[in-house]
Amino acid sequence: MQVKKYLVRCLHRLQKGPGYTYKELLVWYCDNTNTHGPKRIICEGPKKKAMWFVLTLLFASIVFWQWGVFIRTYLSWEVSVSLSIGFKTMDFPAVTICNASPFQYSKVKHLLKDLDQLMEAVLERILAPEPAGANATRALNLTLWNHTPLVLIDERNPRRPVVLDLFADNHNASARGSPAPGGACNGPRCKVAMRLCCHNGTVCTYRNFTSATQAVTEWYTLQATNIFSQVPTQELVKMGYSSEQLILACLFGAEPCSYRNFTSLFHPDYGNCYIFNWGMAEQALPSSNPGVEFGLKLILDLGQEDYVPFLTSTAGARLLLHEQRSYPFVKEEGIYAMSGTETSIGVLVDKLERKGKPYSQCTANGSDVPVHNLYRGYNTSYSIQACIRSCFQEHMIRNCSCGHYLYPLPPGEKYCSSRDFPDWVYCYSQLRRSPAQRETCIGMCKESCNDTQYKMTISMADWPSEASEDWIFHVLSQERDQSTNITLSRKGIVKLNIYFQEFNYRTIEESAANNIVWLLSNLGGQFGFWMGGSVLCLIEFAEIVIDFLWITVIRLVAFSKSLRQRRAQARYAGPPPTVAELVEAHTNFAFHPDTANPEAYPHEQTLPIPGTPPPNYDSLRLQPLDIIESDSEGDAI
Amino acid sequence: MAPGEKIKAKIKKNLPVRGPQAPTIKELMRWYCLKTNTHGCRRIVVSRGRLRRLLWILFTLTAVALIFWQCALLVLSFYTVSVSIKIHFQKLDFPAVTICNINPYKYSAVRPLLADLEQETRAALKTLYGFSEIESRKRREAEPRSSAWEGTQPKFLNLIPLMVFNEGETSKATDFLTGRKRKVSGSIIHKAADVMHVQESKEVVGFQLCSNGTSHCAVYTFSSGVNAIQEWYKLHYMNIMAQVPLEKKINMSYSAEELVVTCFFDGVSCDARNFTLFHHPMYGNCYTFNNKENETTLSTSMGGSEYGLQVILYVNEEEYNPFLVSSTGAKVIVHRQDEYPFIEDVGTEIETAMATSIGMHLTESFKLGEPYSQCTEDGSDVPIDNIYNAAYSLQICLHSCFQTKMVEKCGCAQYSQPLPPAANYCNYQQHPNWMYCYYELHQAFVQEQLGCQSVCREACSFKEWTLTTSLAQWPSVVSEKWLLRVLTWDQGQQIKKKLNKTDLAKLLIFYKDLNQRSIMESPANSVEMLLSNFGGQLGLWMSCSIVCIIEIIEVFFIDSLSIIARQQWQKAKKWWAQRQATACPEAPRSLRGQDNPVLDIDDDLPTFTSALRLPPAPGAQVPGTPPPRYNTLRLERAFSNQLTDTQVPAES
Repeated sequence: MQVKKYLVRCLHRLQKGPGYTYKELLVWYCDNTNTHGPKRIICEGPKKKAMWFVLTLLFASIVFWQWGVFIRTYLSWEVSVSLSIGFKTMDFPAVTICNASPFQYSKVKHLLKDLDQLMEAVLERILAPEPAGANATRALNLTLWNHTPLVLIDERNPRRPVVLDLFADNHNASARGSPAPGGACNGPRCKVAMRLCCHNGTVCTYRNFTSATQAVTEWYTLQATNIFSQVPTQELVKMGYSSEQLILACLFGAEPCSYRNFTSLFHPDYGNCYIFNWGMAEQALPSSNPGVEFGLKLILDLGQEDYVPFLTSTAGARLLLHEQRSYPFVKEEGIYAMSGTETSIGVLVDKLERKGKPYSQCTANGSDVPVHNLYRGYNTSYSIQACIRSCFQEHMIRNCSCGHYLYPLPPGEKYCSSRDFPDWVYCYSQLRRSPAQRETCIGMCKESCNDTQYKMTISMADWPSEASEDWIFHVLSQERDQSTNITLSRKGIVKLNIYFQEFNYRTIEESAANNIVWLLSNLGGQFGFWMGGSVLCLIEFAEIVIDFLWITVIRLVAFSKSLRQRRAQARYAGPPPTVAELVEAHTNFAFHPDTANPEAYPHEQTLPIPGTPPPNYDSLRLQPLDIIESDSEGDAI
Repeated sequence: MAPGEKIKAKIKKNLPVRGPQAPTIKELMRWYCLKTNTHGCRRIVVSRGRLRRLLWILFTLTAVALIFWQCALLVLSFYTVSVSIKIHFQKLDFPAVTICNINPYKYSAVRPLLADLEQETRAALKTLYGFSEIESRKRREAEPRSSAWEGTQPKFLNLIPLMVFNEGETSKATDFLTGRKRKVSGSIIHKAADVMHVQESKEVVGFQLCSNGTSHCAVYTFSSGVNAIQEWYKLHYMNIMAQVPLEKKINMSYSAEELVVTCFFDGVSCDARNFTLFHHPMYGNCYTFNNKENETTLSTSMGGSEYGLQVILYVNEEEYNPFLVSSTGAKVIVHRQDEYPFIEDVGTEIETAMATSIGMHLTESFKLGEPYSQCTEDGSDVPIDNIYNAAYSLQICLHSCFQTKMVEKCGCAQYSQPLPPAANYCNYQQHPNWMYCYYELHQAFVQEQLGCQSVCREACSFKEWTLTTSLAQWPSVVSEKWLLRVLTWDQGQQIKKKLNKTDLAKLLIFYKDLNQRSIMESPANSVEMLLSNFGGQLGLWMSCSIVCIIEIIEVFFIDSLSIIARQQWQKAKKWWAQRQATACPEAPRSLRGQDNPVLDIDDDLPTFTSALRLPPAPGAQVPGTPPPRYNTLRLERAFSNQLTDTQVPAES
């Protein structure tokens, strides 16, 4: 009972609002609120009152509309970009150096012997198709040939192209008559194509080339891939160029370095590649000065005489600058350095740092990409190139049940070779030609949030100069082979300077364009601009709403009371009305007579005549609500 | 009474039309300051003491000034842009690649046209520098060399004489043809000398251009004879070629089959049919790969050199024009499909016996047009006709502008640019003095006197391919032998000789990766932002809002004006009344004082009615003692907002 009493009193205290009727409440609110509009409604003349009422409503709706706009903008998660350019001490990029030829010909000769003979015979056949060379073909190992033979398509008669097998007795393929294969068929008239078959030669397609050069090169590469995929990697590494052979001199800043500072990596395209400053085992080297003197200087020997003649026709060093701990995709992003020249490369690090979700669809480390990163085996970070290549290999294994030689193998799979998988060439060329495969890969892979590009300014000069040629070659030959003879030549020697430019970084960083502070200040600005309001005004408004509810509750209580009383009255047939009832009858607006001034409030209507004040007896002062409450209390007791 | 009338009467009664409530301006101000929503004003009125009041006036005015200043800054910076850089990883459209031989026409084919010019050039070289033909290249020897050109009148040298000037006395020149000194009038324009002073030697070479008939001449000198002879040759060359019909020119130039030996794109063979012809006046036949005329634009879905374009070009040095071009190789330009390739301006040169690998990165830029910047969407709002059959670019606009001006001023069009409608290329026959005109105009163009630079605007969106070019030796020593043999076989009947490696160039163009950067501008401010910033400023300094501004307008303009008007009206009325009836006794003063509710309800002791919040019973007025109507009792209040109520007792 005590608690209830206490609670009731609390309620009374709480609801001691500014008025006991809706109108009073409203008037009080308008008069005392800090929002600018409502005040004017009550203190102006009636015409202006209407105008102000409309204006206030209008402004309020504008405020709400603008708030909506701002909140929507906030939820669109836009980013703003800040760009900074300058020089700072930065980690020198990792530098990957490869020779354009993956292997030394002298070391892989035994593997490629059959293939080279075949190739020479093919060239012989294409260039001079006389039957005189026929007896030379007897010694050839035709098992290689039969997997994917090259054919000559004679298009001199455009309506009836004749397909000539290069090594067959070249009569079975000719449809009829004498196709005169001995004639000088060259140039655009005759095409060389590759025959790709599967299911033991039952289903065949021709892969056409417009030039014999391409056809022969592609065919040779395919066959070589076949051969190398069966050789274990350790042996392949031995067959490539060793770091001692490739890197003759190295200087980083003022510090001498040597081939021992390079990490070796076997790259299927280029054989042994050497990475400087990869940052795998030790800390990355910083460079704190711009200019050639503080960069990396290298002298390389390409050994061009020992190139595999049919595998690579371009001679030079392959070079790639990349981030520490990222896999070098030399073939895609690398540049060439030409032999006999000094190539200077000024580097600007162009970095883009993006915000992840919900701002953009990038991935921080590739863990949320549904492709297993095969390059993780090298302990390298995620990149989109790695993702796409892993994705391709996945498709390859799914479709052809073997992995392609150029990409890493997932555990438990084997590389493709004609011996184990006779149909793989056909399958591979189908897969490579299908755009759908690539698009699914592109769709699955996400770009990584941090994107670093090394912008290079490349310039070249002849090196060594004619005057210095002799002694430079002499010194380098002496150092490498301890021989007094000059074993190097202009054709194999490359000088590289890699250094930071005067401005060595350009960082583009994303930051949230619209943060919560921005949102609040704009919301406040709008509210302030239209109505001069603040959060406190909102609280005021909420208070008034609560008061409103209170009044409603009280009304309802009073109404139910009166209903009960009326019922009681009906039973007693009209007892004299109590004071409370009288008061209520007057206070109730429903019974209020529609006097001349509907907007005149009770307390103002008492104003007009400053007559003699009525007696100020407390006893006469009746509080309508107290009466009701006391009634209810009385009932409760 | 009709219901409409009734309502009207009611409205009239309830909403009476009245003027501003304050009787005087001062009272109005006072009322405003007390009642306004802005902070500061109230302080002025409420403050006691002159110093304080002054301080508050000062503060308020400072705040107002700050508001104006800040808001002005906000408005001025409204049209700024914010830049966002986005990266997309996606399938990229391969750009159009235009490849040209540096030499425009096969020399064997154009030689008949240029025979006279060649002779005169050689003669000029001989007289100027003592260069004779005998030690020159062997292959020229076979050509018949007429030694009797002195007999015929040299027409080219007569038209534009080459001259040697002695340094210091530029007005005297030696005409090398006659050997006699002659006076040179007119302005002397040093073609190279105004940039740097390299004239160590005493002699400079130049040529004189005169306008027709008049003695108005300009002399162009060059620090080196190489430049002078080349420029001189080029002028005549353009003259001659301008008269050759296009078809013949195309035939004299290289065919696609000749230029492109092999072609490989995205792992698939392609050939000359994939290239579309584009005839450039200075570079002859150029070939565009992946042009818009192809029905589908090729795209790349993988980065790397394997997946790009690989071509081997045949560049036959023996067919080179010895005076027009002095370098060997090809030129390549990467551009948008609908863009005109300005190969002479922005091409990349390719060396022979080399593999040139060009890695691309795509950057797209979008700028905002009016009113943020002066760029144009499609050039339709630039008052210059696009004479190129290509999408708008700044360069197209500048060239078009120059060509149009050229046609206007000189009556003919310059050879190295397309023809505007209803114009001809310049040549001697029809326009004997076009060269002078052209040089004058070109000078004016470079010095921005033609107004082209101010009229032309940059395009709002453009694609840019950043190229990383690197070179490697090709073919390698060991592969050279077989490769050249196979390539010779590939070319077949088209060339009758064995290919040499200096006749070939390999070109690789590819996307390094498929990351496309888009640089986009977006408006930094919106109207909402501006308003909310206004609100922030107003609120910060004075707690003001749009309501306050309406108040100010209301009080200071409408109310004040009407008060003034009323006062004037009253004055006028008074003056009129005085004039009408001077004898009339003065009317009693208005009874405002009596009507003024001096006591606020809060101060009033609670009456029964007020305590009960009872409305006065209708009709039953409380019969209070009427207050004495002493003026002395009248209490001044700042303002009464309840004037209406005074009517109630008056009516009853």
